[in-house]
Amino acid sequence: MKPLRTTSTDSEVDTAETVRTAKSWNVIVWDDPVTPMSVVVVIFRKVFGYSNNKCTQLMLSVHHDGRALVWSGARDRAESYCVKLQVCGLQSTIEQDQ
Amino acid sequence: MAGKLFVRRRDGRIEVRLNELGRSVVREAFHDVVAAEHDPNHLWHASLTAPIDPSLDQDNPVSMLTRQNETSTNAELATLTVDEQFLNSNEAWAWLTTLQVALRSTAQSRGLLDQEQLEKGDPQVLEYVRTLQQLLFALADCL
Repeated sequence: MKPLRTTSTDSEVDTAETVRTAKSWNVIVWDDPVTPMSVVVVIFRKVFGYSNNKCTQLMLSVHHDGRALVWSGARDRAESYCVKLQVCGLQSTIEQDQ
Repeated sequence: MAGKLFVRRRDGRIEVRLNELGRSVVREAFHDVVAAEHDPNHLWHASLTAPIDPSLDQDNPVSMLTRQNETSTNAELATLTVDEQFLNSNEAWAWLTTLQVALRSTAQSRGLLDQEQLEKGDPQVLEYVRTLQQLLFALADCL
């Protein structure tokens, strides 16, 4: 008849799980030496609906840094975007936010 | 391949101005993507099955199936329209994505993973890469 301790432990576990699942997932696009820059811009515009300026900035990040985070959010949507980018021939992966 | 290779018309369609040599390059690229999707031993198959989440031993089968279906659909639509003079937006998009898949698969399967390797590559492969890049650049300009 001392449920307080149990209740208290459950609460701690729930809180920890909530924090873990709240981490977002990042869609990463990786650089390669052959894909024309204008093709990357067109694909970003089509897949994400971003403005030309944003697509160009992201493309330049890929080119200069070797990779760029192009979208962040729920895992299922990140996976869906990653698949769309791969279908378009870009090298893309997902990773959980650190 | 001199002059404009693709031209967007006022009605929104894309006019294809490739000569027979250009068409044959495109036809072969489309054919190879379709073949690579169905043949695990094809040189390009690995690049079509790249990891989605590298932290997992195996990716979500639903996502893998979606990728396979969409890549095949695009490549088959591109193949069906390879001799057309005019492409609608969906067909032009299928051409762009399938040519891009062909380009990246060529680079990956030939180990052309950075600028240094690209400069040392087989001249015949590099010519093919440059041709695909030229086609993609011209097509992207219309989309």
